[in-house]
Amino acid sequence: MVKVFIYPSNSLILSDLIDRFGHEPLAVMREVGKKIRTAGLDSPPINITPEDPKIGLKYAAVEVPSGVRGRMALLGPLLEEAEAAVIVAEPDISFGCMGCARTNELVNFLVRTKDIPILELDYPGNEEDAKAFVHMIHDFLEGLGKGGE
Amino acid sequence: MAKESLVKIAQLSCGSEYSGIQKEIDTAASMVDAEIFFPEISIEDVQNVEENFGFKVASPDLKLMMARAKAIVEGKTMADAVLIASCFRCAEGALVRNEIRRYIYANSKIPVISYSFTERTTSSTLLTRLEALTTTARRRSLLAREHQEGLTAGIDSGSTTTKAVIMKDDEIIGTGWVPTIKVVESARESLENAMVEAGITRDDIQAIGVTGYGRFLLSEEFNADLVQEEITVNSKGAVYLANSQVGPSTVIDIGGMDNKAIAVQDGIPGMFTMGGICAGASGRFLEMTAKRLGVDITELGDLAVKGMQQNVEMNSYCIVFGIQSLVNSLAKGSAQEDVAAAACYSVVEQVFEQQLQEIDVKEPLIMVGGSSLIEGVPKAMEELLKIKVTVPPHSQYIGAVGAALLVSGFIDK
Amino acid sequence: MNDDDIISKMIVLHSTFTLPSDLVIRIYESKADITVKETCFGLIIEGERSVVDEVAREMRTLDPNRIFIKERGVPPGDPHRCRAGRGGGPKPGFHQHELEFPFLPYITSALEEIERGEGKGTKMTRSLPIHIETFKDIIEKEVAQSK
Repeated sequence: MVKVFIYPSNSLILSDLIDRFGHEPLAVMREVGKKIRTAGLDSPPINITPEDPKIGLKYAAVEVPSGVRGRMALLGPLLEEAEAAVIVAEPDISFGCMGCARTNELVNFLVRTKDIPILELDYPGNEEDAKAFVHMIHDFLEGLGKGGE
Repeated sequence: MAKESLVKIAQLSCGSEYSGIQKEIDTAASMVDAEIFFPEISIEDVQNVEENFGFKVASPDLKLMMARAKAIVEGKTMADAVLIASCFRCAEGALVRNEIRRYIYANSKIPVISYSFTERTTSSTLLTRLEALTTTARRRSLLAREHQEGLTAGIDSGSTTTKAVIMKDDEIIGTGWVPTIKVVESARESLENAMVEAGITRDDIQAIGVTGYGRFLLSEEFNADLVQEEITVNSKGAVYLANSQVGPSTVIDIGGMDNKAIAVQDGIPGMFTMGGICAGASGRFLEMTAKRLGVDITELGDLAVKGMQQNVEMNSYCIVFGIQSLVNSLAKGSAQEDVAAAACYSVVEQVFEQQLQEIDVKEPLIMVGGSSLIEGVPKAMEELLKIKVTVPPHSQYIGAVGAALLVSGFIDK
Repeated sequence: MNDDDIISKMIVLHSTFTLPSDLVIRIYESKADITVKETCFGLIIEGERSVVDEVAREMRTLDPNRIFIKERGVPPGDPHRCRAGRGGGPKPGFHQHELEFPFLPYITSALEEIERGEGKGTKMTRSLPIHIETFKDIIEKEVAQSK
């Protein structure tokens, strides 16, 4: 099983495909879940506190907006774990954790600087492409083998 | 005081949850009996917003902001007020924030405030802003008052000075102006001076309004009928004194600790900004300059209008380093007048750069507060904005006059 | 990541012959120690990671090509950011679902192709910008026609 970073990191389709083809999706929901369930934190709605943008300084300088750094605090640990990645270029729209274009640009850059297999895909515009999208992901994941076993 | 009616504030924002400050926004809102909500929209609204709103941006959450703004203006969502916020230093966010703010201001009567936050933003920084926002939403009828009736007093407890006025049927009959040392005692003294001048006693006063930095303390002490933040009170006072109660106007108040720039329509604040981080953009900078020049603060303005700011090189707006530049210039033989002019220009330029970009400046531009009496300050503003600046009579009492005017609506008939 | 961490997963159904209630019944039959909430998209289940993973795997077998699963950050019924709690629009994640949902039938047909061993090596078509000379010819032709 290979740990596959996905972008957009909150995508149902990507998360599902990685999982069903036998690998582990690295999705932001896992990090959000950890935050929300951390006892003692009280910073609704997702328990990101003013400390998180400081943690984000690891990925972006202080001159970078706090929202980018806060998001990086969530996404950074996933990037570090990534053994492979599936990146969808210019997804139609994605929200929430992936709602900031600057963060997304930085995340994509950081993934590409890692020495890991990456599949970069266009966002499908029609039925045929949507199907090809699934086949390409399937072929890519099959090529990854069983990972670090 | 009785519990106020709940004000529903629509939040249009990007990044607040990820900066860890959403709780601060919620807390500040609950302190002014308001509730934050996120307008309902459909996915199609977001997908089509670039076309409908006309602004193509990269960040999806900014598209969400635009779609929500449209839902409010088109009446699909009912909001009493709008808070627009995005991350400080995000250019894309600032562009969208400004356009949305303009759009709502131009197409609805809903009051709007725009703010850029960092992870260090706290509920206390947001409090006065949200208080002004909810007041505008809640008290439109109070703010529509154009005349002062009966015998009322207004006290403005500022960070540097405490001002008091006594008004009777649209006339100022007594004033008091003392430095703020202890909030309550200074207010007592200021009011006392005003009462002596007016020839009245406490019992004659039919209603008291308090505003400014120390308003909450004064509220108990004077059993005030109106306790109000300075944004609404100052805009009301400014248009009243400048005889500009109908139509648009812009009010700028460079205070001892913070500055306000307010776009006013028919006496009601629409957009406004409050700055309060840098002392170099405040009245303190002018006081320090006066001290260095060995003149009284009241003489600084006179000097400044005679000087040329271009003759003095200032390489910082900072109250430490900027003042140092001025001292160096004096040592190099610069004229006192030029130094005074440079100080006024420095303060005004910083207000211009940091705050006036956030509101639409419309004439008449009314400058108020003690700093407006330093003639070099309105002059520098005129030079920068290339428009005429009005300084109404009694402009240093603006908050007290606004409070005395508004509180006359509370007199039991 | 520990097996006893509490997590939530969304089980999204895009099926004409399986209903959320069918899934719920199966979960109750399995006696797994988890919380289940029916939603407009399917179900949200919450519990210890190992149990939730197991139940999710089992659910998928009921209609493999029409059931889609992802982990969810927010627990079911979390008051902080849902419509009910905040009197307004939903969590941004809801819009994400609205976007992806219409694509699920295409994913299903691709999965069926894979099941049949078809489609290997299929690539997405990519429309490349036309050559400048071609574009020039088109413009000239159009201009000539409009004269």
